[in-house]
Amino acid sequence: MAATASTGAANMAKDTLPAEDPKLDVFEDDDEFEEFENEVWDDADEGKGALQQWEDDWDDDDVTDDFSVQLKKEIEAEK
Amino acid sequence: MAYGGYDATRRLGDYISSVADAISAQNGAQLSALLSVSRGSYCNVVASGLDQNKDVNRLARQLERAAPLAEMLGQHMRCMQCYANRRYSDSYAALEKSANAFLQEFRNWESAWAMEALHSVAYELRTIAEMADREMAASGKIPDKLKGAGSFLMKVFGALAGKGPKRVGALFVTCQLFKIYFKLGTVHLCRSVIRSIETARVFDFEEFPVRDRVTYMYYTGRLEVFNDQFKQADEKLMYSLVHCDPLKRNNIRMVLKYLIPVKLSLGIMPSKSLLEEYNLLEYKEVIQSLLTGDIRLLRQALQTNEDQFLRSGVYLVLEKLELQCYRRLLRKIYNIQKQKDPGRAHQVKLDSVMKALKWLNIEMDADEVECVMAILIYRNYVKGYFSHKSKVVVLSKQDPFPSLTTRVNPT
Repeated sequence: MAATASTGAANMAKDTLPAEDPKLDVFEDDDEFEEFENEVWDDADEGKGALQQWEDDWDDDDVTDDFSVQLKKEIEAEK
Repeated sequence: MAYGGYDATRRLGDYISSVADAISAQNGAQLSALLSVSRGSYCNVVASGLDQNKDVNRLARQLERAAPLAEMLGQHMRCMQCYANRRYSDSYAALEKSANAFLQEFRNWESAWAMEALHSVAYELRTIAEMADREMAASGKIPDKLKGAGSFLMKVFGALAGKGPKRVGALFVTCQLFKIYFKLGTVHLCRSVIRSIETARVFDFEEFPVRDRVTYMYYTGRLEVFNDQFKQADEKLMYSLVHCDPLKRNNIRMVLKYLIPVKLSLGIMPSKSLLEEYNLLEYKEVIQSLLTGDIRLLRQALQTNEDQFLRSGVYLVLEKLELQCYRRLLRKIYNIQKQKDPGRAHQVKLDSVMKALKWLNIEMDADEVECVMAILIYRNYVKGYFSHKSKVVVLSKQDPFPSLTTRVNPT
């Protein structure tokens, strides 16, 4: 009931609002690549750096972190 | 004032002469600079010259000198005048006429000397179309200029994409088209252009300018992300990252925004310094959750950054990481059991998993948890089987958690 009443109020509020200009979307892409001002550049160093920033040996058997210590307590606790 | 008017007219004459000179000398860089509207320095010169010009016949005679581009130049100067007066729809309309006349001449030239100028016009078409669309939307009209720019640039692409010396310029136009299609949300239109670029045997991709290759790989990488093709997305985005101009940090950041979820899906972690250097801290908790198996943290991180992740289209990619997170949790439980009783560690009771989930405030009944375990096994995240009768996950004694980077996904 309460929900219906508040929806009704919201609709009324909408009806009494002045007609807003039609929402015509101006399209957006937040991640549009910037134009490059330079035609050429030296990508040798940065390229190497970018390759070294990734780790694929993180998936270890370590259980000494805080989360694991707490997890251990939880699963070993009697009901 | 009279002197000012005379001065402006004279400088307009100089401008036209410079264009005529650039054409007769086949100086593409010079012509490109002269035709720039939004980022050039000639727009105001031309605009004030036209605003104050009284002698139309004299102007027409001057324009004759720029043959065969006289017609084009007339429209182009009108485009500049409208642009300087902030009438962007009118500016775009004149620019499209200018570009059309230019393209006709360009087609006839055997050499590609005017490529830089054509690129400049292509860039202006897209940029001014965007401004025109904003102007139209603000005055209640339906914006359609950017769509028109897309159609026109397809014609330009067609004039370049064949065999011969002009092909090297096709990728720049492709990238302008990508920017338009991504903005309009019509990315399916990218497909035919991509096919034309990638199936050409006569032209090696590496012969295109690095600037265009990096942009192309960024956009096609994003398309692969949308299509859940993570291996291909990884290759393309890595290419873009490795070859990007190190000074264009915003572009590097955008590549990483898509590359990080892709890498995570493939079981590869970005370094902390990378996240910090490019201010991508929205991924910090996602990564933390994968390292620990903290499913609650993963869900929280997705919720906190929901808008952002949805807008860039990586939300669904990140949501799928939940299975990886369950796997990590199971692995933690397995290793905890192993410390206590190595002989029986490979048997993980459903009850233990449920205790862990309850601790994390994840509400799931036994059937649901069993289902998740079955999916983990089916998807090769875990090796073993589930004993429904005794409610135990029985892990393989050999390599129970196959490497994420070499996992074969059955779907």
